[in-house]
Amino acid sequence: MSDTSDRKADEAGMVHPRRRDRQAYEAIARALLDRPLPPEYRAEWARHFAGEKPIDAGVEAERAAAVIFRIGEEWLALSTAVFKEVAEPPRIHSLPHRRTGIVRGIANVRGELLVCISLATLLGIDKNAAVERGDRSLHFERMVVIGRANGRIAFCVHEVHGIHRYDSGALTAVPGTVGQAGSSFTSAMLAWEGRSVGLLDEARLLDAIDRNIA
Amino acid sequence: MLFLMFRLGADRYVLDVEQVEEVLPFLEPTLLPGAPHGVAGAINYRGQAVPLLDLSVLALGRPSAAVISTRVILIRYPVEGGETRRLGLVAERVIETVSRDPDDFVPSGVDAGMPPYLGPVASDAEGVIQLVRAEALLPVQLREILFRKLQAGS
Repeated sequence: MSDTSDRKADEAGMVHPRRRDRQAYEAIARALLDRPLPPEYRAEWARHFAGEKPIDAGVEAERAAAVIFRIGEEWLALSTAVFKEVAEPPRIHSLPHRRTGIVRGIANVRGELLVCISLATLLGIDKNAAVERGDRSLHFERMVVIGRANGRIAFCVHEVHGIHRYDSGALTAVPGTVGQAGSSFTSAMLAWEGRSVGLLDEARLLDAIDRNIA
Repeated sequence: MLFLMFRLGADRYVLDVEQVEEVLPFLEPTLLPGAPHGVAGAINYRGQAVPLLDLSVLALGRPSAAVISTRVILIRYPVEGGETRRLGLVAERVIETVSRDPDDFVPSGVDAGMPPYLGPVASDAEGVIQLVRAEALLPVQLREILFRKLQAGS
């Protein structure tokens, strides 16, 4: 609906359609809440609250969340605390005289110029491994922006699964003989969809990034 | 400050959310034979017996309507020594919270003859909202009976 018709409606003293809708929805919601109790409703809830163990606040606090993403063949997890955004891969402008190391260039992320790095290089992941195998890896490519208070940084990943909530108690230690890439940044292993995903230590990772782009 | 609103009949009342632990569905209580007027029974809340008070019975003399919007407000009821005990309150239309300045509540001017649990009032476009003082909901002797009986039973 355009602004002009809005104004016309106001001038005519009519109730705006959207406001009328909202009132109607409120009335419907109220009618739903005022309907009689279904049979067994009260007994069922009584059983529910009788049986359940009190939720320990400590246990609740140990729930954590991480974003799971893939680089090459490697699935990795990183705490949601450092995630700023996930977006379509931008055009990366390479920087003169910075063609070695982890810096790939700078990218325009909604008007802000961010340094774009190659996490694969930093972690020592062979990022072409999966690309050769199939085409699906190309379709889900995303740019991820992470950072702390003192700055943000972007990198591209081949796929972002999404946010995974887990119990801190369910994390397992990194195997001593791990041949996996990026193990020096991996703080723990996270079981996810039948595989073990390395949970990256966000502080160590961001420190390493800072050192490498300085 | 945030308040939990409920209705007794057509009138609106609020409780300070600080006193509220949880809002539960209108679950079935265990009847307490010989319980005083207004006591709907006791509920088993996660293994603990909690007395249930029907505010509609106390204020209007009729039980709360058996509809979805009738809910149990679980409050922390202050007892001696700074401790609190859980107390369930059945009330109607427990469907919204309101944010009001505590200074909005002024004495209603008709304190004499009013039940002790009714506190100051605030007004808005729809009329008057009455603040309920949870700590004054139970007369001393009723509180003694109730909590002692539940303790002996559990």
